[in-house]
Amino acid sequence: MNTRIALTTLFLTSALTSSAFAATVPDGTNLAENQTFTYRVLDEFSSFDPQVVEDVNGAAVVRDLFEGLYNQDADGNNVPGVALSHTVSADNKTYTFTLRDNAKWSDGKPVTAGDFVYAWQRAVDPKLASPYAWYMELMSIENGAAIIAGEKPITDLGVSAPDDTTLVVQLSQPLPYFDKMVSHATTFPAPKWAIEAHGKEWTRPGNMVSNGAYVLTEHVLKERSARERNNMYWDNANTVLEKVVTLNIGDEAQGLTRWRAGEVDRTEIPAGQYPSLKEEFPAEAYALPRLCNYYFTFNMKSGPEAFQDVRVRKALAYALDRNVITDQVLQGGQFPAYTFTPAATANFAVPGVDYAGMSQADRDAKAKELLAEAGYGPDGEKLSFTYLYNTSESHKQVAIVASQMWKQKLGIEVELANQEWKVFLETRGNQGFEMARGAWCGDYNEASTFLDLMTTPSGYNDGKFSNARVDELMVSAKSSSDTQPLYTEVEQILADEMPVIPVYHYSTNMMLSDAIQGWPINNVEQNWYSKDLYRVAD
Amino acid sequence: MLNYSLRRLAFAIPTIFALVIFAFYLMRLAPGGPFTSEKPLPPAVMANVLERYGMDEPLYVQLFTYIKNILCCFDFGPSFSQKDRSVNQIIASGFPVTLTYGFWSAVFVLICGIPLGVIAALRHNSFWDYLMTGLAIFSQIFPNFVLAPIMVLLFTLSWGLLPGGGWNGGQWQYIVMPAIGLGTSYMAGVARLTRGSMLEVLNSPFIRTARAKGLPERTIIWRHALKPALLPTLTYMGPVFVYMITGSVFIDVFFSTGGIGQDFIDGAYSRDYSVLLGLAIIYCVLTLSINLVLDLLYAWIDPKVRDAL
Repeated sequence: MNTRIALTTLFLTSALTSSAFAATVPDGTNLAENQTFTYRVLDEFSSFDPQVVEDVNGAAVVRDLFEGLYNQDADGNNVPGVALSHTVSADNKTYTFTLRDNAKWSDGKPVTAGDFVYAWQRAVDPKLASPYAWYMELMSIENGAAIIAGEKPITDLGVSAPDDTTLVVQLSQPLPYFDKMVSHATTFPAPKWAIEAHGKEWTRPGNMVSNGAYVLTEHVLKERSARERNNMYWDNANTVLEKVVTLNIGDEAQGLTRWRAGEVDRTEIPAGQYPSLKEEFPAEAYALPRLCNYYFTFNMKSGPEAFQDVRVRKALAYALDRNVITDQVLQGGQFPAYTFTPAATANFAVPGVDYAGMSQADRDAKAKELLAEAGYGPDGEKLSFTYLYNTSESHKQVAIVASQMWKQKLGIEVELANQEWKVFLETRGNQGFEMARGAWCGDYNEASTFLDLMTTPSGYNDGKFSNARVDELMVSAKSSSDTQPLYTEVEQILADEMPVIPVYHYSTNMMLSDAIQGWPINNVEQNWYSKDLYRVAD
Repeated sequence: MLNYSLRRLAFAIPTIFALVIFAFYLMRLAPGGPFTSEKPLPPAVMANVLERYGMDEPLYVQLFTYIKNILCCFDFGPSFSQKDRSVNQIIASGFPVTLTYGFWSAVFVLICGIPLGVIAALRHNSFWDYLMTGLAIFSQIFPNFVLAPIMVLLFTLSWGLLPGGGWNGGQWQYIVMPAIGLGTSYMAGVARLTRGSMLEVLNSPFIRTARAKGLPERTIIWRHALKPALLPTLTYMGPVFVYMITGSVFIDVFFSTGGIGQDFIDGAYSRDYSVLLGLAIIYCVLTLSINLVLDLLYAWIDPKVRDAL
């Protein structure tokens, strides 16, 4: 088999420098005696089962309890987890992972390639019916889709374990970013014997067997959970934090109060409070780039007639002063957006789309011109439409500001409507809107996680934008080794066609006690591992 | 009285059934379902998920299965949002919490409310009466979403006396603020009711007779006046007690107690039908049984009511 070994070398190198993937405590650091980290979570976890967990907070716990093929380092790059390295076949469809032989489950059993095979088969098993089966489908593993559809047995999944330390994955189509997807919770190994012994109860403290740096020791529904270091973990010697506790705090303001009282080390910042908190706690208030975008989508299928005219869509996009929204309304370190894909995305250079380079005054002038050309505005037909968003204070503020801008600059009447979250999703999914709020967080750190939304077959393309060239480019991106030109062209088409108005790219706003060190502030997916953190003495 | 109790119990069964059927269909009228999400599931995945929870069946079959499982095995079904938990487990985890602080809250309401009312009535139109009445009105208009943050500000942030939230196995420090936050406005209600009825009783002929007989004032109040004066309070406390032990959504969310009030709101947002239905049933059963207990208590306190049963 012809193999490419460039990637392999990279991982082997980092595998040899072991400090790259454990808590890196500088010499002379005065570590706290009590190595406990306590943080707030908004609501109850969906599950601690790696193949079942759906929520971000649950996935963070699962990343501590289990270890997949690769982990991420502080910058979001892959570093060895259970796998030391991998090779890729010449047709880019076969990935062979070499696993470490010293990885152990918390009950002392060795972690083998077979545990991954079992877990991956489990993830697509219609009997388990994991909602995250879609992720396995996205990974293009051979026969994945057919198994989910119940057409093939789970044993046909394109994953096998020729021996205990070799895992072979067969893809149905080349996927250049496949290796980036194996640090996701759904792909973590699962202990067959524990699951068979306890059934659904296997995720309870005491029943759970896990292979990560921590083991689950306590879980009180809707109140707290605790995990403590796993003595069987292969890199346990380099773990510093002894215990990690989550406290459920439903109210954001209350989370902040309890952070101030020292009850939690980390909490989210309530909307609009970042500037004042940054002033009060300069070293503890963070606004970090995050792999999510915020946009307005036009209903291209059944929206108002005017939205069929690209000049109207562009006029609305141009007249929106994004700096006002990020700097004066949200004030949480968000980034004004002119492209769909956030700048923070790995291996992606933001293309210079024309309107991004203009001054706001020029954009406003251009917007008026475009709208007049289309026959709307002060001298033409009166334009009005409804903007739909899901009920939330900050979405409301953005909606009010945007509608005022459009009214003052272009004379457009915008009616604002809001719906409860699930009602909103249903309405938007059925194209029951004229213009609607949209937001997307990347499933993996690569531009296609965003741009795929703009393709015709995408189930998430609620505006029903359809462009043959975009579809074609995104298909070729799946097998291309140089994707930047393709993504640049897609973004150019989006800027020319403006099926959605990019508004801003998200930031993660949090208060983190300065006693907690090692937080991966540069990891735009905010995939953090407690084993990389440590607590310093006051 | 046994006959009466049995009659009431027999009537409770169709009430619960009606509630289950009504709530079952009503919840499904809300747009969106438990598996509606920002990232819509591909059709094949959705089909598997629906099948897994029996939601691919017609609604009446689902309802029938639901009722059957409750009757045969006391099984309220799986939760849709907490994937590896059953509704039984969720309620078993949250209800004791709510019950505990709800109970202490009720104790707080009675221990503070009744003496306040009695004192105000005994010192009618005096400074004490005005103070008590003023205090009662003040706490009644002071909603718990104002009171709770103020308490946290004082007891947690300023004085560091109590934790700002959590439960920690129900240690007393964690119960104080939820119990007071939940109870304050009811305490005011109890005080005002007690004052009113106490005044009425104190002016009634049998109290005059007792006084004429030369009974000591303490005996008059404790033995003769208090019991009848508490009847309206009892009526008031019935539904309030159910409300207290089934949890206030606000208190549970604000103090992160882990009680079932939180499940109401989470269940509604996530369309966790089975959790909501389970809670509705609990609420219904509790209301019915506490009302029965109250009616029996009435009979015990008031001979007139006893004869009517």
